[in-house]
Amino acid sequence: MNRYYFYLVLLNMLINVIIFVPKILIDYRYEGAVMGILMAIPIGITLNYFYSKAITKFPEQGLPEILANSKHRWLKMIHFGSIQIIWFSAGLITLVGFIDILSRFVNPEMPKLSLLAIYLAAIFLIIQLPTERVMYFLEIVLFLNIPLIGFIIFKAFTNEYLSWDSMLEVGTHLFERPSLKSIAAATYCFSGYANLIIFNRVIKGKLKIWNFIVIFFIGVLNLFTTFFIPIGFHGSDGAQEYLYPWISTADSLRLTYSPIERVIFLFLMFYMSITLMSVSVHWHVAFELLKGTFKEKVSMKKNWLVLAFFGGCSIVGVIFLNSLILHKLTIYWMMFRLGFEIILVGSFFFWARRRAA
Amino acid sequence: MATNQVQSIKDSLKNKIWPAEDVVFKEFHTKEKYIEALYIKTISDETIIQDKLLKPFFEILSPDLFLDYLQSSPLVIPFESEQKTLDEVIKGTAILFYQNAIYLFDSKVDRNNSVLDTTVETTIQGPQSGFSESLPTNLGLIRKRYPQTSLNVESTTVGTVSKTDVMILHDTRRADTDTLTRIKQFLASIDVHMFQTGEQLLDIIKKSNRALVPVMLVTERPDRVAVNLAAGKIIILVSGSPFAVVLPTVMKDFMSSMEDIYQTYWVTKFLQILRYIGFLTSLVLPGIYVAVTSYNPELFRVQLALSIAGSRMSVPYPSFIEVLLMLFMMEMLTEASIRLPKAIGPTATTVGGLILGQAATEAGLVSNIMIIITSSVAISNFVIPINAFSFTLRIMKYFVLALGTLFGLVGVVLGFFILIAYMVKLDSFGEPFLTLIQSKPRKE
Repeated sequence: MNRYYFYLVLLNMLINVIIFVPKILIDYRYEGAVMGILMAIPIGITLNYFYSKAITKFPEQGLPEILANSKHRWLKMIHFGSIQIIWFSAGLITLVGFIDILSRFVNPEMPKLSLLAIYLAAIFLIIQLPTERVMYFLEIVLFLNIPLIGFIIFKAFTNEYLSWDSMLEVGTHLFERPSLKSIAAATYCFSGYANLIIFNRVIKGKLKIWNFIVIFFIGVLNLFTTFFIPIGFHGSDGAQEYLYPWISTADSLRLTYSPIERVIFLFLMFYMSITLMSVSVHWHVAFELLKGTFKEKVSMKKNWLVLAFFGGCSIVGVIFLNSLILHKLTIYWMMFRLGFEIILVGSFFFWARRRAA
Repeated sequence: MATNQVQSIKDSLKNKIWPAEDVVFKEFHTKEKYIEALYIKTISDETIIQDKLLKPFFEILSPDLFLDYLQSSPLVIPFESEQKTLDEVIKGTAILFYQNAIYLFDSKVDRNNSVLDTTVETTIQGPQSGFSESLPTNLGLIRKRYPQTSLNVESTTVGTVSKTDVMILHDTRRADTDTLTRIKQFLASIDVHMFQTGEQLLDIIKKSNRALVPVMLVTERPDRVAVNLAAGKIIILVSGSPFAVVLPTVMKDFMSSMEDIYQTYWVTKFLQILRYIGFLTSLVLPGIYVAVTSYNPELFRVQLALSIAGSRMSVPYPSFIEVLLMLFMMEMLTEASIRLPKAIGPTATTVGGLILGQAATEAGLVSNIMIIITSSVAISNFVIPINAFSFTLRIMKYFVLALGTLFGLVGVVLGFFILIAYMVKLDSFGEPFLTLIQSKPRKE
């Protein structure tokens, strides 16, 4: 069991709440979301398996090191460039989405840009760390937060207002034709493996089959929780009323004896750090790939230029994207991402096999 | 050596050493032979000179036999260069001119060699004595606790003016050679006039000479040094300081007390968890208070929120001013009780703690809850066993407080994680400062 690999996948599973996955799934709950989830599991695990197998052929190397002396400079640039855009936009959607959540639920009077400012400050500090340090930090953040999320999930499952009948009702729509959108959204939970592009630097040796079995079980549990708990709380029809089903779900939970009575605050405090980590991991990948594109060492000035670009994009994103547009955009982004991921994994797998042979 | 050469060295040495009150240049004669000695009597041990030099000089009559005696005495070092000789003289060595040769006679006085009690890192049980201020005594203390032949001691000097003796100790079988070379390079690169104690290294390690988090552990306990030597760490001893520096250091070391070894397992675990909780409390509590009272009073259940608001009812200004005021008073109190003479130390705490705290609430300047928060911050701050780190924590909480004031709850959470990320970024001679599972770094 390689814990670093596990963390990367787990991070994506946790962050799906922010990046509209439950919303997309619940929108299609009568039109094939259940089947979509069931189909997403094998797809996700397969992509996980093939990509990890391929990249662990190059132990302790990220993609820039693997392709360091590639002759096809243009091909490399296109390859890197497209990955960067996907990864950067993944981080951007998460960040803009979460800033929106914060200004809705925690600091309604504060301008969004000042919330963004503190996030950017923290993210810029983290993405410039060496890759192994980012991993150490991720480990600490998960260690501090996992007990909390475990507790919240436990509270949710044991809540007396959780209606298992509503869940069963949605479950009966199992044999609807699955929609592509729901498959795309559900596979996002598994796509943490793709961070291995850079984070393979910290992974020693081959990944054992155990990793994938654990991820299978955690993934099933995660998708089930993500999709069914809000339905159980708000009813099969009521669940679609919310833009952020999980946050409204957390708000329906109550801790009778705790000084913090409303779970939503625990939940949001937990997600503040998880979002920070998710955006940082995605942008760290984009940042490192960008650095890998240039042959010579990247100067401080260029470094700041890239960070300024990242910052500028997120400012534009926060100003112009409201949650509805962001939601629509995310749906298309999800489908694009799924296609891109399949191409990426396929091409890399065959390339790595030829290279290794 | 030719006669005129010795004569010229003698003259130039005499010229370079200012003829101060305590500089002694004397000739001793017997019928057969004579010897000249140059030393500074305030830093030389005159009983050594008397017993080991003058007595044999007058007892051994033959000049050749006395030469043999000189050459075989362990206290005598042959002459190397003029500069080295000068360096030795000002540390207390006597220079001998005998039969056209120059000898350095080690007569350094070893002052302040009494072993001190531990005052900074006290424990309830276990060894109670610390280091002394004398380098040979300290080395002896460590050797006694760490009887291993593989213990290596190297010596160097640091400081352009102070020329302080510094010893580097490590166990050749356990210490990492890469780390050792890094530390030696670091010590060789130090450019400082006065080097008095190992704590100065904490700042010097940064290029900017401005550090917030210490990345080396300064300890006064020989038992801690011995334990760390066995763990493969490298120790720096500085002449004239009762503290040893342990390198490389990670955050876990700052959170551990020697008592952890002297207690039972579960007690130790409990105490360790207590320290981390203390760390967390001290760091975020002021920030949380501001964030909760000024931004999100709905965070707490309604009874608690009301009692906090009720307690703040008479306070005429925003919560962050209240927090700053109280923390400021607390810092003053802490500083004052360090500086005050021991006899009037308790007065400060009585005046500050009882009178000030009580009066401030009754005058309606601060809320009752604020007093509780301030005191719990202060108390939990000093749960950290290593003083240098606990002082760092004192500063760090203001960072979280500032972010909490500006951004509310988000600021507190992110401020905390920014500090964690900053500590993850640090490394101490190649070893990452903060990781969840502390293991040896990957060899590159």
